[in-house]
Amino acid sequence: MEMVKTAFLLVTAGLCAWGADFSLAIGNPIAVAVKAQGNIVKKDVGMAVRGEGCAEPAQIQVVGTAEGMVDGARRSVPLRILPATTAGAFAVPHDWPLQGTWVLSLTGHCGNSTASAIVPMGPNGFLRESSKFFPRAATAAEVELALTTLAGGAK
Amino acid sequence: MNQFEDKPPIGPIEQGDLPLVKAPDSIWKSIEATLEAKPEPRRTGVFRWQWAAASLAVVGVIFWIATRPSAPAWRVSILEGSPSVDKIKVGEWLQTDASSRARITVADIGTVDVEPNTRVRLVASSPTEHRLTLARGEISATVSAPPRLFLVDTPASTAVDLGCAYKIKTDESGDGVLRVTSGWVSLEWKGHESLVPAGADCRTRSKTGPGTPYFADASQPLQDALSAFDSGGSAANVLQGILREARVRDTLTLWHLLSRVDPVDRVRVFERMTELVPLPAGVSREKALRLDPAALKSWREELAWKW
Repeated sequence: MEMVKTAFLLVTAGLCAWGADFSLAIGNPIAVAVKAQGNIVKKDVGMAVRGEGCAEPAQIQVVGTAEGMVDGARRSVPLRILPATTAGAFAVPHDWPLQGTWVLSLTGHCGNSTASAIVPMGPNGFLRESSKFFPRAATAAEVELALTTLAGGAK
Repeated sequence: MNQFEDKPPIGPIEQGDLPLVKAPDSIWKSIEATLEAKPEPRRTGVFRWQWAAASLAVVGVIFWIATRPSAPAWRVSILEGSPSVDKIKVGEWLQTDASSRARITVADIGTVDVEPNTRVRLVASSPTEHRLTLARGEISATVSAPPRLFLVDTPASTAVDLGCAYKIKTDESGDGVLRVTSGWVSLEWKGHESLVPAGADCRTRSKTGPGTPYFADASQPLQDALSAFDSGGSAANVLQGILREARVRDTLTLWHLLSRVDPVDRVRVFERMTELVPLPAGVSREKALRLDPAALKSWREELAWKW
């Protein structure tokens, strides 16, 4: 019985350590290189994102949507998240329209750990200072608040 | 005298007048050898093929001349005012006046908006290079193509497209500024290179070329100090002003300064950078201060996560 307890604790500790302080970091598109058709390209990239604090960077998965307000109408656009040449790093192509106000909602997974980021987009790229990072999935309310704040500031 | 001299040919020669002489054996052997030899193939067919090939070549040349594409040209559309051309060919200039704007469609890779009072020339348009000269004025380029395919020469720099969208402005002396709105651009001139990512600007100056890039949201004191530095200001307080004002994001500027200051000041820049962002694994102080190219590249790629 003691051995079972020990094994359980070890496995639990291992899982925790696997993604103990897992978080997402955002970066300038210059930070990533994406391979397309054999060539390394950096084109049409809106920003870069990577997982940090994951024991197995190659296992990191990131998904996301662009949440926007265009002419008063709420819009949601799925994002392509392209793996970069460095494990755990991804390029986020500029798949959302140029018109309107947009925030990117990104969620990353490392094993059982989840982290997320809400990234407001300005006319010249993402707004780092007003980006928010969470050690969990962001809630819909947090995304709406970020969008409303950005739209209010943009008026 | 021989036998013919004995009987000169006066009047018609009657049958039997001439003596019979036996032909030498060598003649008969020669005749027999000729008769036994295989006849050479008739050359008529070969001549026909040669003629056909020559005719085909002539027709081909005529067809090529008739159908060859003219010099590459880019379409020009009017945005404002009345630019007088609807296309621009390699070697030609396009000039806008104070009230005109035009859009050039760059082959199939993007567009260039030509602002008022601007003079541009199409230098090359090929699958490996699309190149403009911006003599003066301002253009906005939006390009979707592999890196280093689209280039813009100005009097004090060459903007090499590594990204998607940028504006570049210059006067005839070469004083100007580049602003990148998407992706990144390399400003190159006489061995100098400035990498300018989205959100950043870089000034150009006549005779000195590209300056040091900085983010457009950098503090005004930093921008002013940088302008003084790029103009040749070497006073200690100029660099001190840049270092004092630098934020984490301004490591873009400091990274470029590393290779543009003397070794003593390089240590100051290095120490300020590592105050702002810890040195990444694989990059040592010694390598950075030695300006080891691989170390600087690794450092830049890691710093870009903070830009």
